[in-house]
Amino acid sequence: MLFPTLAFGVFFLFVYFASWSLDRENGRRKLFLLLASWFFYAQWDWRFVGLLIGSAVMNWAVAAMIARKPVDGEGRRIGTAWLVGLGVAANLLILGFFKYYGFFAVQMGELLTRFGWERDLPLLQVVLPVGISFFTFQGISYVVDVNRGRTPAAKSLLDVMLLMSFFPHLVAGPIVRASDLLPQFDRVPRLTKEMAIHGLLLIAWGLFKKTVIASELSIRLVDPVFFDPSAHSGLDIAAAVYGYAVQIYCDFSAYSDMAIGIAALLGYSFPRNFDQPYRANSMQSFWRRWHISLSSWLRDYLYVPLGGGRKGLIMSCVNVMITMLLGGLWHGAAWTFVAWGGLHGAAQVVERLGRSVFGERKVVPHWLGVLITFHIVCLGWILFRAESFGMAMDVLEGLGRAGPVLLTTPFLLLLIVGGLAMHWLPPRMIEGVAERLKPAPALTVAVLIGVAILLVEAVRPDGVAPFIYFQF
Amino acid sequence: MTDHPEDPPVEPFPAASPFPPLEGEAPADPPSDWIETANAHDLPTRHPLVPEPLAALGRFAFPPGPPPDEEGVAARDRRWTSHVILLVTVFLLVFNAASIQNWSRQQAPGWVTSTVQQLSDVWCAQIAQLGADQPRQTVRDAYEGLHALRFPGQTPARKGED
Repeated sequence: MLFPTLAFGVFFLFVYFASWSLDRENGRRKLFLLLASWFFYAQWDWRFVGLLIGSAVMNWAVAAMIARKPVDGEGRRIGTAWLVGLGVAANLLILGFFKYYGFFAVQMGELLTRFGWERDLPLLQVVLPVGISFFTFQGISYVVDVNRGRTPAAKSLLDVMLLMSFFPHLVAGPIVRASDLLPQFDRVPRLTKEMAIHGLLLIAWGLFKKTVIASELSIRLVDPVFFDPSAHSGLDIAAAVYGYAVQIYCDFSAYSDMAIGIAALLGYSFPRNFDQPYRANSMQSFWRRWHISLSSWLRDYLYVPLGGGRKGLIMSCVNVMITMLLGGLWHGAAWTFVAWGGLHGAAQVVERLGRSVFGERKVVPHWLGVLITFHIVCLGWILFRAESFGMAMDVLEGLGRAGPVLLTTPFLLLLIVGGLAMHWLPPRMIEGVAERLKPAPALTVAVLIGVAILLVEAVRPDGVAPFIYFQF
Repeated sequence: MTDHPEDPPVEPFPAASPFPPLEGEAPADPPSDWIETANAHDLPTRHPLVPEPLAALGRFAFPPGPPPDEEGVAARDRRWTSHVILLVTVFLLVFNAASIQNWSRQQAPGWVTSTVQQLSDVWCAQIAQLGADQPRQTVRDAYEGLHALRFPGQTPARKGED
């Protein structure tokens, strides 16, 4: 059940009215939202609802055991290392089995063959549960945060289950941490006018980005070019690469916007996940603007525990590389994703070394920094989108090929330019519009939102492709 | 004629002041509240719609309730949001009826989808008679025209391609 579908619209209307009708009893309301979330998840594959429940029970039990341990004078829990290790390992085991088993089995087989120890490793056709990377990372952060004392253990199993299963963020994030969401579960949330208008505007804006910009670019330009790069001219390939940069931004940020908007209408607040990433003038800045919930997760639970920048320049560069390589692998079990992470890591290492030499002096003008960063990101997107290194090389080689422009039309060019130009809109535009609409009567707001959705519905292509990040 | 005939007659305009004499200089007048730059045309001239006594009577008969507490504000905002959502739903049911029809045609055949399809067919036909499908169709036509644009030298779009 995808957000921009009629089926989801009907589902959401039911959940909205039913959940607010249960506002007198918070426990019942949470239970209803949990059941609705399981129903939502079961639309993909009902068998994995059990996995979701099992994962939540495990994380709840480990965190509850951690919370029972005594605390030392500095506020750290004593004797919890093995429990944290157990919780993290169990989460990684779930992720590893479903997402990486096939990949590592193939790699191991090839390695053994290279050394002359050919073995028939058992290959399983493991179905990847939707959103597994998101809810396992959420589970890890919950266990670690309870141990660090950043968040108290949940008051009930219901809270942990809802934390991990809440349908707006379940399948493609944002990775909402326990410290953000658990306190909101303590009582029936308050829905304010600002939240409601903000949520409705985010949903309409997300619909536009996903069903118009991302879908059109995907169907008419990006997919045909990446299917057979050798059949297209350099200009078409360049347009497809820029088009993919716009497509993936509009696709993923649309999901995040709609998730935040849907949660807001149910009374819950999710953190922002994108902040005009193509405005970044450095790779470090890019990762503070792109998929913020993942980048901050990687920082807090991987980069900092590795030592972060505390052990000198060289170690900080090594830690950045490790973090970005694993971040790449998180996106998918393929070497192209690892290479994508490696490219981002290497670019950040170069930036760090540059800063250590030149200090805070501005060596590169801001506009040039934006241009360079954007093109490094686009180079990375080629690896990200291509199914193999061979295809990525075909795309790169094809960029220099002369030939007629067959696929790129003025309309598609307009979408690419528009998708990039939206990064230079006022940074908090939706919030600003919501604030201005606050005093307006319900009818005015309804007509505005209705017209916006009608415009999107009138122009969107039939059907809707799954969000790109569902596969992660 | 007086009540006491022995009193002297009262002068119609007494010469002496009945007040005690002033001691020292009289204090200056307080500063005037006259605004030199004020224009009489700036003064509000609109009369209240309801005469004051009637308004007072209204307030007496139907005294306004106390300002809503936090719970009351939350409930009011929830009602407001629910109204917006319902109005948007109705708006889309009227002006975007074709989406339901399209959706039902894309689904695998079944009791639910065929029922929805038949209902949406009837609904779309009824709505079309009122012309409510025109805004969507106009936007769609303009959008398809945009789609069909080509750079010089490119093959023109075939009819129905976009």
